[in-house]
Amino acid sequence: MSGTSACPGCPENMAMRMLGMGLGKDIALIVVAGCSSVIQGLAPKNSYNYPVVNIAFAAGPATASGMARAYKARNRNVVPVVWAGDGGTADIGFASLSGAAERNEDIIYVVVDNEAYMNTGGHKSGSTPLGAYTLTTPEGKKQNKKNLPFIMIEHNIPYVATASVGYPHDYIEKLRKAKQISGFRYIHVLTPDPYGWMFDPSRTAEVAKLAVQTCYWPLFEYENGKLKISDESLHCLDKRTRRPLRDFLSVQGRFKRITEEEVKMLENYIDSLWEKLMKLYENQS
Amino acid sequence: MMRILTGNEAIAQAVKLSKVKVSAIYPITPQTGIIEELARLKSEGEIDAEIIRVESEHSAMAATLGAALAGVRVFTATGSQGLFYMHEMVWWTAGTRIPVVMVVGSRALGPPWNLWNEHTDFMNERDSGWLMAYASTPQEAFDLVVQAFRISEDDRVFLPMMVGMDGFILSHSKTNVYLPTQEEVDSFLPPRRQPYIIDPQEAVGMGNIFPPLEYMKLRQSIDSSIKSSVEVIKEVGIEYNKKVSPIINYSTLNTTYRLEDADYAVVLMGAWAGDAMEAIDELRRKGINIGLLRIRYVRPWADDEVISALKDKKAVLVVDRAASLGRAGPLYMEVASTTHLDQMENVITGIGGVSIGKEEFIKMFSEFVEEAKRGKANGVKWFYPQEVEKVELRVPKDLE
Repeated sequence: MSGTSACPGCPENMAMRMLGMGLGKDIALIVVAGCSSVIQGLAPKNSYNYPVVNIAFAAGPATASGMARAYKARNRNVVPVVWAGDGGTADIGFASLSGAAERNEDIIYVVVDNEAYMNTGGHKSGSTPLGAYTLTTPEGKKQNKKNLPFIMIEHNIPYVATASVGYPHDYIEKLRKAKQISGFRYIHVLTPDPYGWMFDPSRTAEVAKLAVQTCYWPLFEYENGKLKISDESLHCLDKRTRRPLRDFLSVQGRFKRITEEEVKMLENYIDSLWEKLMKLYENQS
Repeated sequence: MMRILTGNEAIAQAVKLSKVKVSAIYPITPQTGIIEELARLKSEGEIDAEIIRVESEHSAMAATLGAALAGVRVFTATGSQGLFYMHEMVWWTAGTRIPVVMVVGSRALGPPWNLWNEHTDFMNERDSGWLMAYASTPQEAFDLVVQAFRISEDDRVFLPMMVGMDGFILSHSKTNVYLPTQEEVDSFLPPRRQPYIIDPQEAVGMGNIFPPLEYMKLRQSIDSSIKSSVEVIKEVGIEYNKKVSPIINYSTLNTTYRLEDADYAVVLMGAWAGDAMEAIDELRRKGINIGLLRIRYVRPWADDEVISALKDKKAVLVVDRAASLGRAGPLYMEVASTTHLDQMENVITGIGGVSIGKEEFIKMFSEFVEEAKRGKANGVKWFYPQEVEKVELRVPKDLE
């Protein structure tokens, strides 16, 4: 990762470094438009120690599909790994993602979710949470975040997992597991962005932990129809042991002007998220 | 072996004989026959290509490019709205310098919905960095697709190539098509070649940010490769005639008909060249000295061929089945920027499937020659085969 042009405290670089630890060799990266298109540095050099295909915003999963088929035709044991942001996943690349998942293409899809279009300067995406300030929602976003991991579960793919850069071991374990599985694998990593979320760049890992501790960001795996809540999130199953959401909101400037009513709405959203998870969890046991 | 095939079926056979390894497919009329045929060939074990049934044309080109980047021969097809939806990836593909072959079954663009043929979709891609050939018969569509793989994968070119054909008129009409043997095609088409492969063995990166100067040089290198591909195309064409099929002459990029001794020239491309040739025969019988230059390659644009074909003509008529609205036909603008004659006229017609045949061409060409004799064959005209009332402001609501 030498020569990267990432901002100080960049969570995407953290997630990329861990990606290498989790997936090892024999992968090819497909990077859709986003911070990671820039972080690589200027050609002819590249700070990512992988073969990299940079591709248009909406084209990641389809490009990876083509690559997977070609490797199969050439008898090469190489896993195409799509690396996309939340805009590239929840919005512009969604059809391509859904199509590749439905076809159960033999690829790994990693979304690094900083909850806005941060590469363009911090603009609202389908993954921006309610109440958050962005340059295109200066009044605060009025709708909840699109629940992508659940949407992917509904695609009946072999593996869906969530992770946070605050818990590297959990994320790396999930990457390792994903590499052992074939078919479409979806890993959604929360990557708190110091500039867009407005906190000090030294606190990236801490904020990423707070998201999990307050149960705002559930860590789980969904494999072969079975849900497993990750250890870091087990306390969320009981509402009484959850850390207050305000601990997560108050450290970020983007929620500075959130109203009491909106905080309540966010809390309700998180409750409903966990009710859905618990229903899935209870129905299987 | 001669077979009775539609243009779509002929193209599927070309894909089979060219041993394509991955094809991403998405339906759109009028090219759907190609992808149906590829799916059938796959299900019956006649081809061993991976077929990716993608969810859009944008993904069709992305998946096709992905497979090509990872090292195999690829094919896809589209047209009309599909080509426009794919447009971003068409350009992205050219920028990679990776060989890809695509067929465009031409069709008008909405709104209002229109299923019929015109060339606007194809011509819209002429700045994209692809090589672009346009067929006039199912046989030529077959031949050009086989040649496209060879040209695209030539190390002096390394650019994607699209082959266009008129929707329905070629895609759906059954005609005699000569299919060469697998051995004949193999002797002509070597194994896949490409400038680089995305594979951990090579650890190549593609497409991260270039500084402005280096970017500009990359763009110019595409421009130069397209220009110099003229010689490659001729060389490949001659070899195709020798090793695969002598039926259509490919020693030049474009073709002419009764042009050499003609005073007046018509320039056009596509399937209606057949009607135009019949009209020319008829006019010749009446003593009107007229001939045809049929453009087969829009990119590269063979300046020398166009200049030498038209240089001594009294007047030139360029017939476009496409329009740059508010300006002129795109083919006309190409010809007008190549050669400068006193009399050059542009007719835009056949838009949205308006039927133009031999009789219409006789009328159109006769009028052109009459105007040329009066020194007035200039400007841009929209030609209708029958009388139409004055075209006033129109919106795409239901026709009254």
